[in-house]
Amino acid sequence: MSRRPTFWISIYLALGVMGIFNLLPFYWMLSSSFKTEAEVASYPATLFPKLFTVGAYTKIWFQEKFVYYFLNSLIVSMSTAAFSSLVGAFAAYGFSRFRFRGKTPLMTLFLASQMIPGVLLVGPYFKMLSLAGLYNTLLGLILSQITITLPFSIWMLKGYVDTVPVEIDQAAMVDGASRTRTFLLVVLPGILPGLVATIIFAFLLSWGDLLWALCLISAKSKQTLTLGITQLVGEFRTEWSTIMAATVIATMIPAVLYLALQNFLIKGFTEAATKG
Amino acid sequence: MQIRDPYKGYFFVLPALILLITILGFPALAAILQSFNLMWVSKPAFTLSSYLRLWKDAEFLASLRNTVIFVSTTVTFHLLLGLSVALLLNLEIKRRHLFRVLAILPWTMPDVIGGLIWKFIFDTLPGFVNGVLIRGGLRVEPIDFLGIPSLAFSSLIFAEIWRGYPFVMLILLAGLQAIPRHQYEAGAIDGASSIQSFLYITLPNLKYMVIIAVILDTIWECRLFGMVYSMTGGGPGYASQVLSLLTYKHYFQFFNTSYAASIAVVLAVVMLFVSIPYLRITMRREI
Repeated sequence: MSRRPTFWISIYLALGVMGIFNLLPFYWMLSSSFKTEAEVASYPATLFPKLFTVGAYTKIWFQEKFVYYFLNSLIVSMSTAAFSSLVGAFAAYGFSRFRFRGKTPLMTLFLASQMIPGVLLVGPYFKMLSLAGLYNTLLGLILSQITITLPFSIWMLKGYVDTVPVEIDQAAMVDGASRTRTFLLVVLPGILPGLVATIIFAFLLSWGDLLWALCLISAKSKQTLTLGITQLVGEFRTEWSTIMAATVIATMIPAVLYLALQNFLIKGFTEAATKG
Repeated sequence: MQIRDPYKGYFFVLPALILLITILGFPALAAILQSFNLMWVSKPAFTLSSYLRLWKDAEFLASLRNTVIFVSTTVTFHLLLGLSVALLLNLEIKRRHLFRVLAILPWTMPDVIGGLIWKFIFDTLPGFVNGVLIRGGLRVEPIDFLGIPSLAFSSLIFAEIWRGYPFVMLILLAGLQAIPRHQYEAGAIDGASSIQSFLYITLPNLKYMVIIAVILDTIWECRLFGMVYSMTGGGPGYASQVLSLLTYKHYFQFFNTSYAASIAVVLAVVMLFVSIPYLRITMRREI
């Protein structure tokens, strides 16, 4: 369709406004993190740093337990993502390839369980973990995070397994492979992009969590990044440059993952969200 | 084609099912029992007292009202902004890749972190908004955005509008891209204007995607926790208090487990009710 130049000018103008709106908090976070402590506390705020410094970053990074927060977040998110994707892939294969009694109710149950709010589960979970001796452990936190990621992973992965023709399974089985071998060595490699998207999505959900860590972790050395940062706010109060440096570090990993893998993720995610 | 081989089917599904029952089913059931004072108490006895107390608790009623306002406002704006940006990105624009990255960016930020950044943006003294207002000569005195009840709640809503709309945009963009091109071509041949083709081709095709996006977004906003916690903490007073944060407070700060469970059950029932159409649509496509 041919359109008038004014049409395109207004389109790019609108896109520009959207870009500024979206970027503004990122800009404010980044620019504040490079300001000196004195400048970031000054009133009224400076819109550009007068003096660039990485002081806030070195300060936060060598802050008592910050490196622990960072590593804990990595451990918890990676374990959650790996475990829920593996268990989820098995279930996805079962739901995709077999007919069995109770399948539809089970699938509905998994779908509906995504709608359960975390705050309903977190209280009993706290009690259960305390009884099991897993309160204040990363293992307990990982188990709890799986409640968020597993139902999602199953549905997302089932969409991918459905795209692999059953004939491929049959060919492998004619060659003498067992069901499990077929699944692990033929189907899983076939859905690798989808598997990666699912793993990363679970990682991001887990990385961004605050509720579970807040309720299930007490020791400083076991806190995750999101939890640690919210606690730092109490300590640093108006030292916004330090807090902003911490938020840059917490935002960096998800942002880089999204941007690097966006085509992958968008495709996988929208298919999971819309097709189910 | 599917195989009727029940045992193998169960074999693959079993690990997930065991996890679902132990880490999801059991705690959900426990919470319901707790709300009726039937579990983890010295003398279990069925009572509705927690639920009856809800309707006399001003903070609960305010949180319920806030949650409804928060969710309906954010979801409405997410839909408006999400649809507008999705329509823009669906055009034959240059640098589409760059604009799509820009469009998704807010959603990559964990909500807790977003809450902290917006808290700083709206801060009275060194905050960005006051900085702009004062340097621009629009205000002499700074505005205490997060200290004034109505402004604090609006600021929170604004921040979540910013963070959440790319999610809706992504779903709608996928929907737009799935609309067959020939429908527009046929419309153009029949002399349809852009507005007509939007109303009679785009919108009807997008109907299901809109429903799904609205329901999923509603679910996300209902359980939003981190941003409220880090940005306003529900305050000042309980001006921006929402049900998820209120539940947390009763569980972990006041240790009213039964009462906290009853609030969570109310929230969960509302959310399940909202999600029924989504469950139906998805399951219908599956069978």
